[in-house]
Amino acid sequence: MTDVVDGIGLEETRSLETRYLMRTYKRAPVDFVKGEGPLLWDADGKRYLDFLTGISVCSVGHCHPEVVKAVRDQAHRLMHVSNLFYTEPMAQLAERLSESSLGGRVFFSNSGTEAIECAIKVARKHAHGRGISNPEIVSFEGDFHGRSYGALSATPGLARNEAMRPMLPGFRSVPHNDAAALREAVGTHTAAVLIEPIQGEAGVIPTSEEALLAARQACDEVGALLILDEIQTGVGRTGSLWAYEQTPVRPDALTTAKALGGGVPIGACVTAPSCADVLELGDHGSTFAGGPVATAAALAVLDVVDDPVLLRQVRELGAYLCEKLEALDGVRETRGRGLMVGVGLEEGIDAAAVGADLLGRGLVVNVPRPDTLRLLPPLVIDSDHVDLAAGLIGESLLACLA
Amino acid sequence: MGTSRGEDLPRNQKELRATTAERLEAIVEAAERAAESVIDDAETQAQKHLKQARVEADRIAEKRISDLSHLVDALLEQATSLQREAERMQTALEEAKFRVNPEQPVEAVEGSPPPEQPASPPEAPRLRAVTQAEERSPAPEAKPADAAGARLLATQMAVSGSSREEIEARLRNRFEIEDTTPILDAILGPEDPEE
Repeated sequence: MTDVVDGIGLEETRSLETRYLMRTYKRAPVDFVKGEGPLLWDADGKRYLDFLTGISVCSVGHCHPEVVKAVRDQAHRLMHVSNLFYTEPMAQLAERLSESSLGGRVFFSNSGTEAIECAIKVARKHAHGRGISNPEIVSFEGDFHGRSYGALSATPGLARNEAMRPMLPGFRSVPHNDAAALREAVGTHTAAVLIEPIQGEAGVIPTSEEALLAARQACDEVGALLILDEIQTGVGRTGSLWAYEQTPVRPDALTTAKALGGGVPIGACVTAPSCADVLELGDHGSTFAGGPVATAAALAVLDVVDDPVLLRQVRELGAYLCEKLEALDGVRETRGRGLMVGVGLEEGIDAAAVGADLLGRGLVVNVPRPDTLRLLPPLVIDSDHVDLAAGLIGESLLACLA
Repeated sequence: MGTSRGEDLPRNQKELRATTAERLEAIVEAAERAAESVIDDAETQAQKHLKQARVEADRIAEKRISDLSHLVDALLEQATSLQREAERMQTALEEAKFRVNPEQPVEAVEGSPPPEQPASPPEAPRLRAVTQAEERSPAPEAKPADAAGARLLATQMAVSGSSREEIEARLRNRFEIEDTTPILDAILGPEDPEE
């Protein structure tokens, strides 16, 4: 199908990018110009099936009509007034997030990393309230919490970048899923355990229930907070609105972003009632956060995603996708939950080569590590899309194995 | 025999009398017209005041009804909020209680729906309060943290809309609980054999 959109084209775009943008990204050679549901079109009119959704952002599909309408209507009425005033969508979204999860209060941000900053502040101030002067936050190796300095300090892999030092003090990490090491690391000076229920950037690696239980128990013993980073797993990605709902623990706070705005930047830190009042007047703030357009978009997203029928479909399609993938030559294992799937490839297969080959075949995936494909399709796909994606991955693997 | 007095009056006096009578008649008519006008004006004014009074009375009544309606709405909202808060506290207390002593059964929540009352949506499993008689330990060998975790996992999965089969599979795979029926029955209610 060809559906060419007028524009400057890939070469000109690439030339501008090369000249004017900081070189912090390695981009695939595609210039996307249009999206609709699970489909994307590049500047040449080539169509792609998107099994990445902008890293789990466009979970309701590209340009979902309800989200587009909410954004357009709100932009016509009011775009920004700052947090010095009340706005309806902000208050309504806070209620929706709180009532659908932990029942406490919400702080809005513009991104996931900012949501983590808020969570770190809550944890540290909560610890100071318990008389701890040198609070410490414990994370797992492989966790990814963001790139601002607080979140970066809690992201062990990135925090080791010497050129970015010094990191913030008061962070430590233990091997992923090592329950004993986690129990050992949590002490009286621990402010919080901050972990992902499923590590996304590390290659879709679920945090074991044993480790989650250990974290909950250790936190309870010393009065620390258990904070779950649901930036990638939240908003329906795993087949429940929040991933923790399919685990044996309930956190004291969670962070969300990515899919929350359906493509419009927004994040949030949601607390349980027990730590809802930790941050007080002047403790934190943001000019843009919780703005009317972003919160209106998020309300529209939740209208779509917070639907038991859709969430059940996510679980069923996720299982179906894994079943199809595991039957393919070259696939060692699948990991994850719902429609957050890591595809572990057999030794000797270069996942980056498979990813590039799939892009050429019209399937967009991500390669978080050399042996793994990461699939984060829209939650609104059907079994035909799964069949098509699995077929393309099978063809690509056969080509790479040949 | 005498004649009438009028007949005796001179002609000019007769004319004067006639003119005076006509004038008097005209004056009386004018006075009557003026009086009618005054009455009409008075009636118009009275009707106007009456109408204004009615409009004002309606406005006040409407405002009071509106105020009352807002008050009722606010009270309902507060009641709903209090109910939600109470439910959250109840859940938190039960979780805390179970964490402290996993062996101790969780008592039924007062006012919670009876087991046969279906929860919405239709796909979601039924939820109900745990009763003492039905409560059993999830697995004899389960550690306290695991037992609490199994129960919380099952509860959260049920709340998020997972089916009985999905919850059962997770309990078997993760917690290696052979007989998941007590936990599932406690949370979802006994399985209907006709279903």
